[in-house]
Amino acid sequence: MSKHEGEKMAGKVKDELLHDHNHDGIDRRGFLKCMAWAGTGAFCVMQGGVLKSYSLSRLPKLGPKEAMGELSFVQISDSHMGFNKPANPDVAGTLKAAVEKINNLSAAPEFMLHTGDISHLSKPEEFDTVDQILKSAKPKDVFYVPGEHDVLNDDGKQFLERYGKSSKGAGWYSFDKKGVHFVGLVNVMNLKAGGLGTLGHEQLEWLEDDVKHLKHSTPMVVFAHIPLWSVYPEWGWGTEDSAQALAYLKKFGSVTVLNGHIHQTMQKVEGNVTFHTAASTAFPQPQPGKADSPGPMKVPAEQLKSVLGITDVNYVQGQHALAVVDSSLA
Amino acid sequence: MRRSVLISSLGAALVLGMGALGAGRQRFELSVQQKPETAEVKIDNFSFGPATLTVPVGTTVSWTNRDDIPHTVVSTDGVFKSKVLDTDEKFSFTFSKAGGYPYFCSIHPKMTGKVVVQ
Repeated sequence: MSKHEGEKMAGKVKDELLHDHNHDGIDRRGFLKCMAWAGTGAFCVMQGGVLKSYSLSRLPKLGPKEAMGELSFVQISDSHMGFNKPANPDVAGTLKAAVEKINNLSAAPEFMLHTGDISHLSKPEEFDTVDQILKSAKPKDVFYVPGEHDVLNDDGKQFLERYGKSSKGAGWYSFDKKGVHFVGLVNVMNLKAGGLGTLGHEQLEWLEDDVKHLKHSTPMVVFAHIPLWSVYPEWGWGTEDSAQALAYLKKFGSVTVLNGHIHQTMQKVEGNVTFHTAASTAFPQPQPGKADSPGPMKVPAEQLKSVLGITDVNYVQGQHALAVVDSSLA
Repeated sequence: MRRSVLISSLGAALVLGMGALGAGRQRFELSVQQKPETAEVKIDNFSFGPATLTVPVGTTVSWTNRDDIPHTVVSTDGVFKSKVLDTDEKFSFTFSKAGGYPYFCSIHPKMTGKVVVQ
């Protein structure tokens, strides 16, 4: 989103955004691409193809019906344990702050998703530290998918031993919670020169088979490390064969795609699919194309927690989409 | 014109003569030992610099990661493969055969480079 578009968006809609995908509206291309910087955050609800999002500053005014649901879970991402450069010399401290934030949520999440880059260099002690810190979180179950930093040097063997014992292939799997079908995908293996994230033929076949028996009304949550939509291919922020995966999900009325990797919150809605990326708990990265490279971005120490965060997701039965709320660690 | 042709022929004959005696070859090996060819590629801002490096046969190329993020140096054709290089870590490979050697970072595959060995 260009600065100009961002200003236009902010100027037009202030706190509340209303997007009608079926008609004209704010976005003529038929989708919303809205970047909510951590520290501002967004709360989104979609009903009948209309997406409503509120800035986090308005959340206290929302009724409990909008903010609560049958199922609540939290997404954390990119903890990069072991990273110790100026962008954040204390990634353990900020992960602990994220856990504290989770433990203070008004609707206690039932479980956590970690969308990868648990470790920075795939070192055993890095994984151990994260496991230890997450033990103090109220939700006890954590579902993981690997980031590229978790599968260094050993093609993901250690990751599978630690987190993927009951998974398929390089670590993909699915499970059901209160009528919602969750699919964890792996798009960080066997990357080809010049290319983007890759799911691969074997995983795509598995996905097709995994979802084909499900009713169209089943709410779907798909999570993977690298975005399953083209955020910024120049920086590798996309997945080569995600279109094929999304084709298998087309029949479902509500699909929520949760990713990490880009260390900033971003959202896009396309038809029945809501794409969302979570903030990192470790360090921020620049907006697409706004720097020479996607490397860690150094912000003043007192601002760091405002650009790190967690994502809280609520499912309300009968509503078309899940409500996704980002909140910063500040 | 004629004179220069004559001179270069003479030079060639001289070199051939030395080669036949084994002296020229010995001297060449000696010079390799004293001054091995080296070249450097720097990894900065998620890119290899220079992106294309041309070196003579026998050159040892070293890559140094200057980013705050780890990278790898992996030959597209499987000729060489570094371990993960954290900040300031180095990987070296000696190219003993002429040819083109494309490579990339297996963590950030948009990062690509090439070594041309002549």
